[in-house]
Amino acid sequence: MESKTTTTYSMWSLFRNCRKACEWRYIRELVPLEREHSLAFGAVIHKCLELWHDGRDLGPVLDFIDRTYVNRTQEEDQRRDWHLASAMMKGYAACWPVEEFEVVALEKTFEGSIVNPATGAMSRSFVLAGRVDGVVRIGNEHFLLEHKTASQVDADYLERLWTDFQITLYSRYVEQALGIKIAGVLYNILVKARLQQSRGETETEFEARRAELIAKSKTGKSSAKRRLPESDDEFQDRLAAKYAEPGMFQREMLYLSRDRFETLQSELWELTQAFLDARRRGVFYQNTAFCFHYHRPCSYFPLCRADGSTNISENFYRKVPPHEELRDEASFEDAPAF
Amino acid sequence: MLPAKKSPPKQDHADLTVLVYGPSKIGKSTWCSKSEGALFLATEPGLNSLDVFQAPIRSWEELLAACAEIAEGKHSFQTIVLDTVDNAYRMCSDYICAKFKIEHESDLGYGKGWALINNEFQRVLTKLAFLPYGLFLVSHSQEKEIETRTGKHIRIVPTLPDKARKIVLGMVDLILFCDLEVTSDESGKPVYRRVMRTKPSPHYEAGDRTGRLPDTIALDFQAFLDAFNKPLAGAKAGAPKPVPAPGDAQDKKPAPAGK
Repeated sequence: MESKTTTTYSMWSLFRNCRKACEWRYIRELVPLEREHSLAFGAVIHKCLELWHDGRDLGPVLDFIDRTYVNRTQEEDQRRDWHLASAMMKGYAACWPVEEFEVVALEKTFEGSIVNPATGAMSRSFVLAGRVDGVVRIGNEHFLLEHKTASQVDADYLERLWTDFQITLYSRYVEQALGIKIAGVLYNILVKARLQQSRGETETEFEARRAELIAKSKTGKSSAKRRLPESDDEFQDRLAAKYAEPGMFQREMLYLSRDRFETLQSELWELTQAFLDARRRGVFYQNTAFCFHYHRPCSYFPLCRADGSTNISENFYRKVPPHEELRDEASFEDAPAF
Repeated sequence: MLPAKKSPPKQDHADLTVLVYGPSKIGKSTWCSKSEGALFLATEPGLNSLDVFQAPIRSWEELLAACAEIAEGKHSFQTIVLDTVDNAYRMCSDYICAKFKIEHESDLGYGKGWALINNEFQRVLTKLAFLPYGLFLVSHSQEKEIETRTGKHIRIVPTLPDKARKIVLGMVDLILFCDLEVTSDESGKPVYRRVMRTKPSPHYEAGDRTGRLPDTIALDFQAFLDAFNKPLAGAKAGAPKPVPAPGDAQDKKPAPAGK
């Protein structure tokens, strides 16, 4: 008997948004060759939060950050991310010295069947798998813990949490996998500070600024001093002050209605049927309204624009098996050769 | 009106759109000059040592004018060589800046200037590629640090800005990277050979949509022709560039590439 295909929220979400992008990723197994910086930073913070909530000891968290950005003395990008991650996690630990919740599970993976709501029959083609950031208990109720890093949290961002298809889907399956009732979701939002470490000014830049000030001065003199580069300690102090401000760490608790579970089950079933149909006919059409969804081109935009040219797919993408989020740390890609 | 049969893949190299890139002085222009009925649209000096037909191009407007003349078809040229496509892109950028009365591409805000340039650049190159002539685009090479999920490494890529590079690589049939291959002779001394690399690698960009070329060929036009025209052993010839259907107006009377 043919084994069932593992699917994830990411796959169904992408299929719902753009079938063509879903085909590139999950049928052709292509991912962009170049790493997207914001996703990489988010992954580091997720790991930091897992370490923190596991032992509530900042030492291993900061060690992990140091090990992640090992080239920070030479590389500007690494130094910037190291500063931000360190300050963010120190600020987080200070903001939540005690928690109102008890951790039940962290980075919990699950797998469950997809059911036809009309007949109660299980899909013969697909199973759904996923990984939740955490499951916590508050009083007598269980909640999913969902970490998010954001550049800014405004009204739209918070309103949008209600439409989070992933969380409703995950709640349903975690209930099945762990046998506990999920009352809702605790969103744990960490805002990325936009501060930049000052590089100071060169002697030439200082002289130019000084000359400008002297020209404006009635006395023909200036007491201006050269701005020196901001040291790592000074920048960390400035970041710490920023992370002490309210609003840099936010928690939002949402309760899930049981009706949404039923609606979701139907929607998921519909998606599986649509996917099977698309795969059978080999028709994955492009949703052009989604090409610039986040005010930037979709990762597969160059490929679609070139009508799937092999020159683009072979030079700008590489093959990676789907559902990376389900693999644990010691997956084949990162595991040592011996 | 409608076609009765499929249009076959194009067999002639002169129907192809090709990107040739590599370091300075390796012989890119010389290689292009050997193509049949070559006309150089020379956006930079450097063809002095070559005995070729060339039209000096000093601005995007001049390029548009030349393209319009080519499209009229009152000439015997069969291959158009845009040497270099990097300079053509810069001219396109200057043209858009002048048209919108801005000093820099970023002056229009939200990336609008860059998008206008890329659209104009793609429009003209696509029109050129649709003309019934071969189109060879020449570019220099540069080393670029690529950050992948597994680390950083150096890659050799054409010297076009990222978005323009994706446009060009997406529209060409062949990406030929000109390189020096180093081997050792019997006494252990290094032997240098100028080659073209035709298949993608983590270390450079290359590609062959026709599937006709071996991974590496000598940087010699006759060697290229021999490899390209070698009968395919049951392999499909890929899909070079879109073939206009019979009766398509563009097939007989191409639209001018100009305004």
